Amino acid sequence: MAAEKAQVVVIGGGATGTGILRDLALRGISAILVEQGDLAHGTSSRFHGLLHSGARYAVKDKEAARECLEENMILRRIAPNCVENTGGLFVQLPEDNAEYADQWLAACAESGIPTEELDPRELRRNTPVLHHRVTRAFIVPDCAVDGFRVLWSNVNSARRYGARLYTYHSLTGIQQSNGKVTGVELTNQLTGERKYIECEMIINSTGAWGGAVAALAGIELNIIKDKGTLVAYNHRLTNQVVNRLRPPGDGDIFVPHGTITIFGTTSVTVNDAACTKPGHGEVLDLIKIGQEMIPDLENYRLIRAFAGVRPLYQAGNTAGGRSVTRNFALVDHQERDGLQGFISIVGGKFTTFRLMAEKTVDLAAKRLDVTAPCRTAEESLTSPVSEQWLERGKRVFGIPGAKKAADRLGDSFQRVVEEAEKNPDQRKIFCECEVVSLAEIVHVAGDGDSFTLGDIRRKTRMGMGTCQGTFCSYRTLGALSGYSQFAGNHREYLTKFLQKRWKGIRPVLWGQQLREAQLSSAIYCSLFGMERML
Amino acid sequence: MMKKNTDVLVIGAGLSGLMAAAKAVAQHKKVLLVAKGMGALGLSSGCIDLWGYQINQPDKVCTNPLAEIAKLVSHKPEHPYAKVADVLPESIDFFLQICHQNKISYLNTNRNWQLPTALGTLRPTYLVPQSMAVPDLAEVKELLVVGFQALKDFYPDVLITNLQKNTPLGAHCHLKTLMVKLANQELNANTLAHLLEKQAMLEQVISQIKPHVLPGMVVLFPPVLGEQLGHEVTEVLSEKLGCSVYEVANIPPALPGQRLQKALLHHLKTQGVEVIIGCQVTDAQITEKRCQGVVANSNGKIMEISAQTMVLATGSFLGGGLTSQSNEIKEAVFGLPVKVCPGKWSRQDFLSLAGQPFHEFGVAVNDQLQPLDDQGQVLLENVLITGANLAGCNYPIEKCGNGVALASGYKAGKLVGEAGR
Repeated sequence: MAAEKAQVVVIGGGATGTGILRDLALRGISAILVEQGDLAHGTSSRFHGLLHSGARYAVKDKEAARECLEENMILRRIAPNCVENTGGLFVQLPEDNAEYADQWLAACAESGIPTEELDPRELRRNTPVLHHRVTRAFIVPDCAVDGFRVLWSNVNSARRYGARLYTYHSLTGIQQSNGKVTGVELTNQLTGERKYIECEMIINSTGAWGGAVAALAGIELNIIKDKGTLVAYNHRLTNQVVNRLRPPGDGDIFVPHGTITIFGTTSVTVNDAACTKPGHGEVLDLIKIGQEMIPDLENYRLIRAFAGVRPLYQAGNTAGGRSVTRNFALVDHQERDGLQGFISIVGGKFTTFRLMAEKTVDLAAKRLDVTAPCRTAEESLTSPVSEQWLERGKRVFGIPGAKKAADRLGDSFQRVVEEAEKNPDQRKIFCECEVVSLAEIVHVAGDGDSFTLGDIRRKTRMGMGTCQGTFCSYRTLGALSGYSQFAGNHREYLTKFLQKRWKGIRPVLWGQQLREAQLSSAIYCSLFGMERML
Repeated sequence: MMKKNTDVLVIGAGLSGLMAAAKAVAQHKKVLLVAKGMGALGLSSGCIDLWGYQINQPDKVCTNPLAEIAKLVSHKPEHPYAKVADVLPESIDFFLQICHQNKISYLNTNRNWQLPTALGTLRPTYLVPQSMAVPDLAEVKELLVVGFQALKDFYPDVLITNLQKNTPLGAHCHLKTLMVKLANQELNANTLAHLLEKQAMLEQVISQIKPHVLPGMVVLFPPVLGEQLGHEVTEVLSEKLGCSVYEVANIPPALPGQRLQKALLHHLKTQGVEVIIGCQVTDAQITEKRCQGVVANSNGKIMEISAQTMVLATGSFLGGGLTSQSNEIKEAVFGLPVKVCPGKWSRQDFLSLAGQPFHEFGVAVNDQLQPLDDQGQVLLENVLITGANLAGCNYPIEKCGNGVALASGYKAGKLVGEAGR
């Protein structure tokens, strides 16, 4: 079989990898993105969803702060439907170092980050959920960002310029000849099939997996894997992002996303890049810290906990956790290790993914003798859904359903609305928590990029809401039972669905979520006897 | 402030509370039942499960649950059945009698049925509403499963696919499915059940199914065949189609559990029990080991209720009888100690055959259903605990939720009825 060809193979379907794919494609460089799971199955979907203003980094790293601010403004412009312009707050409590506030203010000013002091009395009126003891509060341009949507928008944009994507393919070999990369060997994670791609260059943008990928080329690359646990509340606790005004630490950021709030995080060094199990103890620690800012925190309903692994890089340093820079490093292995055609991009944070991609592709282009400039900051990532289509959507899915679907589906919204107009049967809302229609589920199931139930779940958000799949897991079995790849074995389908949800619910199993879990258990065991199902 | 005085105060309108009230009033007590919500009975299958599987072989269905419960009582004295097994047979008779009086017919064959569910699994259960009493599937030659296009909670193809895996069907059994189209809009189970009580709508259903009916056919429906009691949708369908028609258990909302709840509430009202729904007990006055009375908030009105005896039938977490925080579980009304497994509230495997430990959390009681502290001392002499409030029962795995509720509610009613004589 003739091997497929591309100039560049990008490994890793996170924010950076998809950003690189888009940048390459926009410069006319032929590229393939390879991802071992679904897009964003790693750290790019396991974070706060905070688009930093840079204020958090201003004191420690002005360069990083400035980059954050610039990228924040760019992403708002090129991807408005992925960003919710919430604005952010930094609040200080009496026990925090008062001098730090002044130091922070000066650093923000120096980095060009606009700040505005808010009278604590006004803060109490606007955001009564925060502790009345807040001494100082400042407004900064933080935003909430949907990582998953940004990634798919990157890929869809890149595809318009001929880029290709292989999800569920892991890199199992790197071929080299005379000190030059010549190709990659991939293994399909679902079928076990092997695939070879001839290429001139490999870009390793695999985050926490960076060391493992470099090792395939016989190169040592030291990545510190730092696990952070987060929780999702079933409420929009505040309308703005809330940061604690003190040196960055655990449990000091709340980010509102639609009707929920994500709160985190912790910092624990782990050995395994796939270690995404949130711990009950970590969650309790988080809440304890969070109560200093929001005293009533324990009484709000939690939906679930999750964890992501930050890839931290510091050449020649073995320190870990928060002392390591959040900045990124571009490693040119031609210079460092004498292997031509191999580049690693490590460290960094979601907010600056586009810039990281730009720097990486600048180097790649230089090596490939391509002179086209970066255009990713100018060209829009997505085109917003038109008012006319939104109106038509509202008529078939209702107002909240249409709005949510338009945000999730972006460019595909039109097609889903058309289907629902033609088939009234498909207007039924299957996931009531996230307002997902049958039409949307059917569309995603058939979009060519969905291979597992998890893919459908991530794209539609079905099962992600308050009931955590109790009702929609069974309903979607009915909807998808015609697709053997998703629901060939009904027991397996339901077990997987429920078990995935359970992993996130267990660390927050009290209050209303324990009640919900008892209902779920009553339905699947008491009513359906699923524990003994064949 | 409104004041009320009664012989017996029942708190909770689930199966155990309804049974306690029914039995107490049958013994000529003045009974007041208050409940915050409608109780979890309406969420249940509508069948009375006593005990599903053999104690020694938990993957094998037990045919005679009464005999199995007798074994359980000696194996596991902390199980709620150990406190109420003495009244189990008479509680069943009492229940059947009430059902009969209130035009809701339940069948008792003195053994476990194995009834198909909407998922195509079989669930073992003991007392079965007539509308759900599917005969032995091994004997059925023609099986038709009917769904409704407008109802997103029932899928005939899913039922049939799994039924073939989960039960031995007759060698020549033909399985068919059919989707009835009624309206373009989405209908939930209750709305659909309400519509099916209208003759014109039912005629539409019949005309779509009729051409597919064969002699001797068994037709399975989602549990939506009529909302009100006395509307015999199942019978009409059966007669007009000329075949046997049944409902199968499904996720809520489902009508059989709701109908049972309605029938029992109707019974209480005809017997003179005062029932106040939407009434939450907020405080209890306790002196020594007796509860003198409670304060309740009934839709904003504050009431002081005094009673000789009280039955706590507020359920587990789902019913709201137990509340939890990250490190603590409380009984919601009296603040009674809750028996828990510290540090082990759940298991990693959601569908574990060992069951989730949190289902077993509840109040420990003696044979008189009085609440005990961890030393085994009675905490409140005139408060009796029933149903899912009781510790030691893992109903989702054991298939005994309604059975425990039935027997413990009955026993509490019997005990309070005897009190003060």
